[in-house]
Amino acid sequence: MKITLKDVSFSYTDSIDDAILKDVNLQIESGECVVLAGESGSGKTTISKLINGLIPLYQSGTMAGDVFLGDKNTSDMTLAEISKYVGSVFQNPRSQFFNIDTDSEIAFGCENLGIEPEEIRRRIEKTVEDFHLESLLGRNIFHLSGGEKQKIACASVNATDPDIFVLDEPSANLDLKTVDDLAEIIKLWKSRGKTVVVVEHRLHYLRDIADRIIYVKEGRIECEWTPAELEAKGPDYAASLGLRSIKLVQLGGTGVSPAAQRDESITFRNLRFAYQKKFPILDIPELSLPKGKITALLGHNGAGKSTLAQLVCSLRGSWSQKRAARRLGTYLIMQDVNHQLFTESVLDEVLLGMNPKDESAALEILDSLNLKDYVEKHPMALSGGQKQRVAIASGVSSNRNLIVFDEPTSGLDYRQMLAVSATLKALAKRGKTLFVITHDPELVLNCCHHVIRMDHGRIVEEYSL
Amino acid sequence: MKLDPRTKLFLVAAANTMIFSVPYAYSMPMVAAVLVLLLLEKKWKFMSVFFPVYAIAALCFDYLKQLDSGMIGTLLAATVLLICRMMPVGVVFYYIMATTKANEFMAGMSKMHVPNKVTIPLTVMIRFFPTVFDESRAISTAMKMRGIRLFSLHTLKNPLTILEYRLIPLLVSITKIGDELSVAASTRALAPDTRRTCIVPIGFHVQDAVVFVYCIAVIAFVVVSHI
Repeated sequence: MKITLKDVSFSYTDSIDDAILKDVNLQIESGECVVLAGESGSGKTTISKLINGLIPLYQSGTMAGDVFLGDKNTSDMTLAEISKYVGSVFQNPRSQFFNIDTDSEIAFGCENLGIEPEEIRRRIEKTVEDFHLESLLGRNIFHLSGGEKQKIACASVNATDPDIFVLDEPSANLDLKTVDDLAEIIKLWKSRGKTVVVVEHRLHYLRDIADRIIYVKEGRIECEWTPAELEAKGPDYAASLGLRSIKLVQLGGTGVSPAAQRDESITFRNLRFAYQKKFPILDIPELSLPKGKITALLGHNGAGKSTLAQLVCSLRGSWSQKRAARRLGTYLIMQDVNHQLFTESVLDEVLLGMNPKDESAALEILDSLNLKDYVEKHPMALSGGQKQRVAIASGVSSNRNLIVFDEPTSGLDYRQMLAVSATLKALAKRGKTLFVITHDPELVLNCCHHVIRMDHGRIVEEYSL
Repeated sequence: MKLDPRTKLFLVAAANTMIFSVPYAYSMPMVAAVLVLLLLEKKWKFMSVFFPVYAIAALCFDYLKQLDSGMIGTLLAATVLLICRMMPVGVVFYYIMATTKANEFMAGMSKMHVPNKVTIPLTVMIRFFPTVFDESRAISTAMKMRGIRLFSLHTLKNPLTILEYRLIPLLVSITKIGDELSVAASTRALAPDTRRTCIVPIGFHVQDAVVFVYCIAVIAFVVVSHI
């Protein structure tokens, strides 16, 4: 089914003057796979919402122009009608399932469309076969990993058999291996003649699938390339537009283990953890992190990275393990920083971990993280990047030496990633030791000094960059 | 053993009526019924926490009622009373949450001609309990790391701050999840005016009849013995 946007402008407010999209014209042919790329806030997600009907049918705002699916104008349809033609997958795996068990979730869209139970069961069977979901059936969704949840979301949409698939940053929370699974699913849709629209920062996994990459900037479609054209222009060109690399960035180490060249380091011993003695989840006799340097921790989901981080941050483990970790002074910056901001102002947030009389020290820390202008603001009123820096500030203020980051750049565009990288470098300069769990090779290349790779609960590789 | 969602709703109504409106001892048969249902569902972990607490409270109940010894006695009696009265209500709700799928519940409600406008928010509630637990756990982890303890000089001086530290992040994340959830559901054709189907067949069976007869018998017995 063909998608046509005709002179579309949209504003999230009452006035078309602050439009986030300006006179957009776009035609996507039936069976095409198109990537919408651009910096955060460029309006690319707004375009995806126009296609799945959330604009104008769910989101309030001011709209001009028309969107057609085939020859039907979306403003004359209901969301339920549109969902017969368009299936949507969103960024956050935690918030897009309505049921608690996987089977019901795959059936959910079909049930809503009033399809006969017999037919739904047939479709579920087919979807499970196509996506290799046998092991995920009959499970509690709350117990699945982010990647598994995202697969179930794709399966649920697939079962309703729409002509168009719209995916809004589907890979933001996924590791490289799960991203490959996602790529397989998109490939399958394309091979069946479906139209696929992907809004995405990470481009590498779509290199062999996408027909066009459309670059959106400040509410307008600036230009478009085939993946090959973009790749030919080189990585500096993409970076100058704020785009992530289209080629998967390879990390090449010097091969020298960091242990051989460091003089001072923070050392953890006996990092072992198991639910059952026979099946250790984590088995690391010694972990050394060079002081004042940034060490990256890589590995697939389920390799034991989170468990390691929890042990290092004294959030898990035996009493003696916790005591050892506490003595070293560690702090974790969570992937969802909303969980760790408690107070009413940015300044209070920082003062919470220190002597309240020491306001000048707190202000100095905030200044060093470019938060001086937000001292009186409510932390929840800030942008994602600012929130993350407030959380970092509270870690610095409580005098922790080792700061652990859990996926600090998931879902960020190139420029935002560079900003995080600059913050990390500044912290290292202050003498803090940083340990960064990440799936983001570009971040690693940009700021990390050492790399540790884990698999099956053990360190399998260490090198310096 | 599977009960029809409508039977479960009837069970809630019957159990709550018994627990709240008649002398305490009469609620025992309802509590027993729910316990049997939970045992049939093999919810061992839940039972192992609930049963000892409830049993001790129930055993102490009569003794404490006669006790008349100042503030501590009254406080103790009030706590025990609260456990005896409120815990069964919690158990009934737990049973429903743990055993009812969202689609079954919606199908049951629509068979009773309850409009979708009422059913959908109720269903979302079922989905939200585990979410609140999940988020809550992440927040307490963050608090622990930050060194915010439940009992410290700071929190003793300002007892409300501990509530604030917990609630602000919880509200923010739950509001966000709720918002994203309703977007996702609307793009999958969940709407107040559509007719849904359900892949889980629902309907009344022998076990439903047993529950109905049992509840009605208990209520009848209580009513008759009070006239």
